[in-house]
Amino acid sequence: MKQVNKHIDKHGVGHVTLRPEDDQDMWHLYNLIQQGDLVRGPAVRRVQSVSATGSTDSQRVRLNLTLQVSSVLFSAGDGEGAAASNDPSSSSTATSTASLHISGRVTSENPHVRMGAHHTLDVETNRDIRIEKDPVSGSQHVWDSVSLGVVEQSIVPGRGAEVAAVVCGEGQAVFCLLSEHMTVIANRLKVNVPRKASGSQHDAGLNKFYSAVYDGITRHVPYQTPELKAIVVASPGWVRDAVVDYVQAEATKRGNKALATALRTKLVKVHVNSPHVHSLMEVLKNPQIAAQLNETKFAREGMALDKFFKMLGSDELRAWYGPDHVSFAVDRAAVGTLLISDELFRASDPGLRKKYVAMVEAVQQKGGEAVIFSSMHESGQRIAQPTHRNRRDSDISSRRRGRRSRGGSVQW
Amino acid sequence: MSYAREKLIEEAVRVLEEQEKMGKKGVSLVVIGHVDAGKSTLMGRLLYDLGRLDEKTKVANERGSSKAGKSSFSWAWGLDGTTEERERGITMDIALQSMSTPHRQITILDAPGHKDFVPNMISGATQADCALLVVDASTGEFESGFGRGGQTREHLLLVRSLGVSQVIVAVNKLDQVNWDKDRYDDICDQLRPFLIQSGFRESKLRFAPVAAMMGVNLAECEGEEAKGLLEWYSGPTLVDMLDKLEPPARDLKAPLRIPISNVFKGSGSGTSISGRLCGGVVQVGEKLRILPGDETAVVKNIYVEEETVPWAAAGSNVMLQLTSVDPVYLNIGNILCLPTELVPLATVFTARVIVFDIEVPITSGAAVELYHHSKDVPATVTKLLATIDRGSGNVLKKNPRVLAKGISAEVQITLRPSGYSGVARPIPLEPFTVSKDMGRILLRRGGETIAAGIVSEIFA
Repeated sequence: MKQVNKHIDKHGVGHVTLRPEDDQDMWHLYNLIQQGDLVRGPAVRRVQSVSATGSTDSQRVRLNLTLQVSSVLFSAGDGEGAAASNDPSSSSTATSTASLHISGRVTSENPHVRMGAHHTLDVETNRDIRIEKDPVSGSQHVWDSVSLGVVEQSIVPGRGAEVAAVVCGEGQAVFCLLSEHMTVIANRLKVNVPRKASGSQHDAGLNKFYSAVYDGITRHVPYQTPELKAIVVASPGWVRDAVVDYVQAEATKRGNKALATALRTKLVKVHVNSPHVHSLMEVLKNPQIAAQLNETKFAREGMALDKFFKMLGSDELRAWYGPDHVSFAVDRAAVGTLLISDELFRASDPGLRKKYVAMVEAVQQKGGEAVIFSSMHESGQRIAQPTHRNRRDSDISSRRRGRRSRGGSVQW
Repeated sequence: MSYAREKLIEEAVRVLEEQEKMGKKGVSLVVIGHVDAGKSTLMGRLLYDLGRLDEKTKVANERGSSKAGKSSFSWAWGLDGTTEERERGITMDIALQSMSTPHRQITILDAPGHKDFVPNMISGATQADCALLVVDASTGEFESGFGRGGQTREHLLLVRSLGVSQVIVAVNKLDQVNWDKDRYDDICDQLRPFLIQSGFRESKLRFAPVAAMMGVNLAECEGEEAKGLLEWYSGPTLVDMLDKLEPPARDLKAPLRIPISNVFKGSGSGTSISGRLCGGVVQVGEKLRILPGDETAVVKNIYVEEETVPWAAAGSNVMLQLTSVDPVYLNIGNILCLPTELVPLATVFTARVIVFDIEVPITSGAAVELYHHSKDVPATVTKLLATIDRGSGNVLKKNPRVLAKGISAEVQITLRPSGYSGVARPIPLEPFTVSKDMGRILLRRGGETIAAGIVSEIFA
C-alpha cells in the first residue's frame, strides 16, 4: 500500500489517504475503517433522470463519494474467484481476489447523488481512498496507536514473505497462500479414494487424486511470481512424497518448465500430523520453513503462541488468558508479552476498542511486548478463541459470510 | 422377499439364537500394537494356518517379497495389498479378513501401527468388539513401543475408549530372545497394571507367547521350533483364546445405523459400501438415508463374508450394494440409517471426556481433530464446563481454566467451519445415553490422542 497523504493532529484527529495494491492491503483497510469514519473513494453510480415527457434516461457516472461508514464487509478470495476462472494461465498473474465493501450514507455534496443516500463502495486496487476520523463529523474513533501502527505496517514496501502451502492427505488437499498478514485458502479438493480393501481401485483413485492436485497447483499456486519464497507440500504419512513425485513427473511430461523449475528451487516437504488447515501451524514450526520465514509476522505469531501454550502446560501461573484475567494482569504491570487478536480492535463499540488500545499501550510502556495477531492467520484464529469467551462467533462469522460481488459497485 | 420391520427383527433374533446354539458366534477383532510389532505378519501366518490363505498366494508372496529384498515381509503381504505398503513394508490402512475357529466366526481388522495412520486404526477399531494386541518381545523393541510416544499405550487407550473390553495380548518374536520365560513374564507384568488402569478387567485379559513368523503357538504349539516354548508353556494357543472371545450383546431393536468405512465400485451395478452395523437390522430392498445430506439409496444386495444374505443384523461387518444413488453422495464417514429414524446432526455439543497423558493442557479454544467412526473433522473445544470426579460423577470445579492430564471433564465442542461458507458442516452424532456406538468420540491434536469421551448433549 502507498500512503498518498496524511494529516493527523496531536489528538489523533485527521485523515490518511492510502492506495491499496493487493489483497493484504484490503485486509489492512478493513482493520482501519470503523463505523462512523468518513471514507472518500471512487464510485460508480447509476444516475437516472426523468425528462419532461416522463421518459427516463440512466447513465453510469464515475465520481468520488464521501461516506459515513455504517458497515464494512471483507471477504478473502476464498478460491471462488480463482475457481471461476478455470483458465490456468490466470494463475501466473497475481490476481487480487480479496474484496472490501464499505457501505454508508453519502455526506458530501455532489452533482449526482443526494446527501444521505446510501451507497456501497467497492474498494479497488490502485484507487486512492481517504479515511477520516474526526469526532466532530460524527466518527466515534480517532487515530490511536494501534491504527497508526497498522498504517505504518501496511505501507512498508514489498509484499512480505509469500508462501504457498498444499496440505494434503489421502484423497484431500487444501491449497493455501500465506502472506505477511493473511492466509488465504485458495482451494480445497476432495477426491474419493476407495480404501485398500477394494484392491486395484485404491491405486486408480490415488492417481485421480494426484492429477487433481497437479491441476490445483497449476491453478492456485502462483509459482511464476518471483516473490513466492517457497512451495510447501505437507502431509501425514508419505502422501507428500507421492504427490511431489507425481507433480514433478507431470510437469516434465507436459513441458511446464516454469513449474518444474519452481519445484526444483522452492519446494519444501514437511511432515504434519493431520490433513486439515490447522496443520499450517505445524508447517511454520518446521525449522526449514522457520528459517526462510524468519522475522515475518506470522512466524513470530506462531512462535509466540507456541511459547504461550507451552508455558500454560509447564508454568500455569505465568500464562493467563481471557479478557478479565488479562486486564487484571495489565493493571498490575505484570505482562511480559501480550498476545491479542486484531479482531478486538474491530469492535464497533469505541469504548471497547479504547480499552484494548489502552491495554496494548500500557504493556508497551512498561517495556513489554504486544503481539497483535492477524485473525486471517491460523494462529490468530486460534488465539481469537480463548480471548473471545463471551462474545465469540458473531464477529468471526459475520466477516466470513461477507457477500462477494465483483466488478462495479453495489447500489441500493 | 422382504419382511415388515417387526417380523424381520423377530426373524433375526430367532436365527441368531439358533446360531448361538450351534456354537458359531460372530465376533470382530481389531489387531493393534506398535509399528513393526508383527501384526500383519501374525495375521498373515494365522490365516495361512487356518487355511484361509491358499498355498499359491503364499508362494507368490514369498517370491515377490524376496524379489523386493524384503523376504521377512512375506506373511504380511497376505494383508498388505497395496503397492505402497509393500514397497515400504508397512501397513497403512485397515485390512479386512475373516476366519473361522471351531466356535467363532471372526472378522479381522488388521490395523496400521505407524503413528501417522492412527486415523485409519481408529476407523478399524470402531468396527471391532475385541482387540488383539501384538507386542514385540525382542530387546529394546518392547520398551520403545510401550514407552512414551510408542503406539502400544495409545492404541490400548483408543480401543478401550471405543468400547472394546476384551484384549488378548500376543507377545511376539519370543524366538528372538531364545524363548526366555523371564522376558515373557516381565512383559506381562509391565502390561497388566497399565491395562487394568486403562479400564480393562483382569478377568478379560489373556496373554499368549508366540512367534508369528514361524507360526509357533498360533494355531498349534508343536514341532521343532516350538521346543523352546514347550519347556515352560503348556497353556492354550492363540487360536484357542480367540475361540473363547465373547461377542457383546447386539441391540437388534435399536434404530439402524451403518457408518460407512469404505466406498468403492463393486462388481455389478451401483456403488458398494462397507461398514459395520452399529444397531438394528437392514434388509434388501430397503431405502436408506445418507447422513449428512438429503440423499437416499436403495439396498440392492447385502454381502456378509462374501456371501449374499437377505438381511444383516447389528454387529456384522457388511458390504452393501446400493443403487438409485449418485456415488458422489457416498463418502467415507457418512452414516446410513432408515429415513424414519434419522440420526441427529450436530455442530455444537457437550461431551464428557477423559484427558490422556498430554504435555500441553487443553485450554478453551484448543484446536483439535474430532474422530467419530471413520470421520475426522476439525473442531474447537469452546468451553470447559466442569471437571468431574471420575468415580462418582460429581462436579469438582466449574469453569476450569485448563484441563491437565488425567482429568475427567465436561466440555463443549464446536465443529470448525470448513469450506468457503464459514459455516461448519454438521456431523451425525447421538448422545451416549441414546446410542453407545454413535456417542463415542475421540479428540486428537498434533498427532497424539489427547482425550476420549462420550457425547452428553447436542445443542445445534
